[in-house]
Amino acid sequence: MFRRVPALLALPRRALRGRPRLRPRNRLTAKLLVLFAVLGPGLIAANAGNDAGGIATYASVGAKYGYDLLWMMVVITVSLIVVQEMAARMGAVTGKGLAELIREEYGIRWSAFATVSVLVANLGICISEFVGIGAALGLAHVPKYVSIPVAALFVWLLLVRGSYKLAERIFVLMTIPFFAYPIAAILAKPHWGAVGHAIVVPHVQLNSGYLFLFIATAGTTITPFMQLYVQSAVVERGIGPDQLNAERAEVVSGSIFANVIAMFIIIATGATLFLHGDHTVNNAADAAKALAPFAGHYAEVLFAVGLLGASLLAAAILPVTAAYVIAETFGFEKGISHRPREAPVFVAVITTLIAIGTVVALIPGIPVIKLLVGVQVVNGILLPITLFFVWRLAASRRLMGDYANGRTFNIVAGATVIATSTLSILLLGVTLSGR
Amino acid sequence: MAIKTPRSDLLHLSLVIGGQVCDADGLRLGRVDDLIVRLGADDYPPVTGALATIAGRAVFVPADLITTIAAGTITIRKSPLDLQPFTRRPQEVLLKDDVLDRQLINVDGARLVRTNEIEIARLEGWYRVVGVDTGPRGLFRRLIPRRFADTIRPGAFLDWASVEPFTGHVPTVRLRIPHPKLARLHPAELADLVEAASHREGEEILEAVRPDAEREADVFEELDSQHQVEFIEQMTDEDAAAVLARMESDDAADLVNDLPEERQEGVVALLPSAQRRRVRTLLGYEPSTAGGLMNPDFICLYSQATREEGLERIRRSSGSPDTITWLFVMNQSRRLKGALQVVDLVRAEPGAVLGDIARPPKHVRPDADLEEVARLMTDYDLTVVPVVDDEEQLLGVITVDDVLELVLPRGWRRNFRVLGDD
Repeated sequence: MFRRVPALLALPRRALRGRPRLRPRNRLTAKLLVLFAVLGPGLIAANAGNDAGGIATYASVGAKYGYDLLWMMVVITVSLIVVQEMAARMGAVTGKGLAELIREEYGIRWSAFATVSVLVANLGICISEFVGIGAALGLAHVPKYVSIPVAALFVWLLLVRGSYKLAERIFVLMTIPFFAYPIAAILAKPHWGAVGHAIVVPHVQLNSGYLFLFIATAGTTITPFMQLYVQSAVVERGIGPDQLNAERAEVVSGSIFANVIAMFIIIATGATLFLHGDHTVNNAADAAKALAPFAGHYAEVLFAVGLLGASLLAAAILPVTAAYVIAETFGFEKGISHRPREAPVFVAVITTLIAIGTVVALIPGIPVIKLLVGVQVVNGILLPITLFFVWRLAASRRLMGDYANGRTFNIVAGATVIATSTLSILLLGVTLSGR
Repeated sequence: MAIKTPRSDLLHLSLVIGGQVCDADGLRLGRVDDLIVRLGADDYPPVTGALATIAGRAVFVPADLITTIAAGTITIRKSPLDLQPFTRRPQEVLLKDDVLDRQLINVDGARLVRTNEIEIARLEGWYRVVGVDTGPRGLFRRLIPRRFADTIRPGAFLDWASVEPFTGHVPTVRLRIPHPKLARLHPAELADLVEAASHREGEEILEAVRPDAEREADVFEELDSQHQVEFIEQMTDEDAAAVLARMESDDAADLVNDLPEERQEGVVALLPSAQRRRVRTLLGYEPSTAGGLMNPDFICLYSQATREEGLERIRRSSGSPDTITWLFVMNQSRRLKGALQVVDLVRAEPGAVLGDIARPPKHVRPDADLEEVARLMTDYDLTVVPVVDDEEQLLGVITVDDVLELVLPRGWRRNFRVLGDD
């Protein structure tokens, strides 16, 4: 009777914020739960980037240049890891979101600017996600007037009525459809030797189309909402400095997973569309349809499944990120675990973004491409600013103490920030000059 | 304590910062970068100087050189030639760098607010911080161009007497500034604030409470387990034991159970012997069962004891009032035979024997789950449920507050209106 509680059973209890379970689970389930429980903010943030717009970009890269840009994904992955790790570390050490730190350290004007930009950009992307959901289910002949409102309701209920833990679990589960892309890539029967060669050996072409896709890929893989989300989610999850190493591992593996998926998308279209001379891909659903003649009907279905999962995930993460940013900037109660009456502003922002996203996505003939171009412009301006703040804040010893960037890492981080920002500004220039 | 300042006399910090530094003849010397105030002794912190850029150099302008502070201009006496760079003195904070845009504790509302604007006024002959603006007006004033800024009237004014700033982020404040106003808050309110604040700010609140060990333990009891562990983990074993020693033993046992395995033994070993024994006993049970919920502080008498003996035991008892609202009666072989409320005891005839007054008790076994305990409490209107072992000897009692804490729906558990302005 006087037995000690085994450590494994004590662990999930902590994860449940002090609420004891009524019935203990068996050991194996508990073990799996602990493994599963580590997955979270880093994985979700990076994979929300593989959204409708991202998939379209990667599919275009493969269709237009085959495997030639694969090497770049390796470089981008490293950059993404550097940036995401800094944001996650700041969340764990300071217990504050990025928007909150920007306001405290750089003043209200910068933070108001960042807040407005995030709101506009996230609203834009959010619309494109709902369009993506409609397109993915459209391939299965579900009318968008059914699929989009149902998806919107699901996302809204999850964010407003669910707890953070539940929402996080479901976000993690939403990354499972991404496994459709590696399978589609295998069905496309690529020449694996050529793929390996392309990853290791950079192929640089000096023409404007290549450069445009180069910077567009960088821009879609590293987006401001990822840093904002990962930091706020680390805070809401209650990760402290003592759990920092586990969280780092999660951020690194999550970023790698997201970009490996992106590489498989490039491989799938590179092995089919590129080889057969079909070089243009307008959007993610087009890519799925175009794949069918070369890689079979299953490849089309897999692409559609991937698109659905990706769009659903991003359609949830973008409104939440905007809500975090607004609540942090203006000091309102925030958190997915909160009910509307507990965090009215937070819930109102989420509701507004989802509502506008749904309604606009249902308008017939909505020019999604033009919309995404507009979003790219806003994000192109915002990204250098966000990254600069992330870099400087993570290097601040006053703020971070012993967890501040080390000397060498700080140089790497600075170089990453400058390189990524340059690409982002280039993309902005190219987009505005109407290419 | 709160002094009524006419609103038109309020000086907005955002209009002072970025204004010019002028000499007595109105000649422009430089730009105002920040104002410095001393926290601590005064109800309304006095301005002790300004940071300015004069001739391209960042300098400190001490208060005795300043004649007036107005929107857009600070006027100083002649000859600012030998101005030195700023070095912080104890208890000094920079209004723009250290207070503006950061969180404050609104002590009267027990919530965290963000400083959108700082209001200054001339009071008792000198410029002092009299309050903060936490509403949208203060924010808006700082977003629009300076030219139009003074057309924005003062907004939601929060008197400085109701405000306690966080100073943990202020560098070189060797002497931590005390937070006397926190004494006005209930431990449960303090716990809510700690949970809503960031880790470092929460630490600052707990440090402010620490000199009163009893109160610190009360705050810990009110914290959710995640935050309890977060703060106990970084204490030394001695400090952790000092907090645990003053907590209710069932709460203490729950907290010890949540600590990393390698720390548990070290902390428990340092507890005072009575608390150590109770915690060790409770640690033997699964936390979500009756055994884990129970408190080993109770009063149990033999059934022959009289009303007076019962009252005497209550008088001498040091247990918490919640657990001793019920008394228990046992027979010669220490079997639990009856239960009675303190009220029954008070109402009984003098000299009455407890065995006659007591009613047959409803009880549970240590392995009973939360549902069973909660149902028993509801069905029989009990505030205390006894837990007995296989020999029906009393092990401990479960009080309604511990059960309520666990059965309350998720959204109800915390007072969420801790942040924001209204």
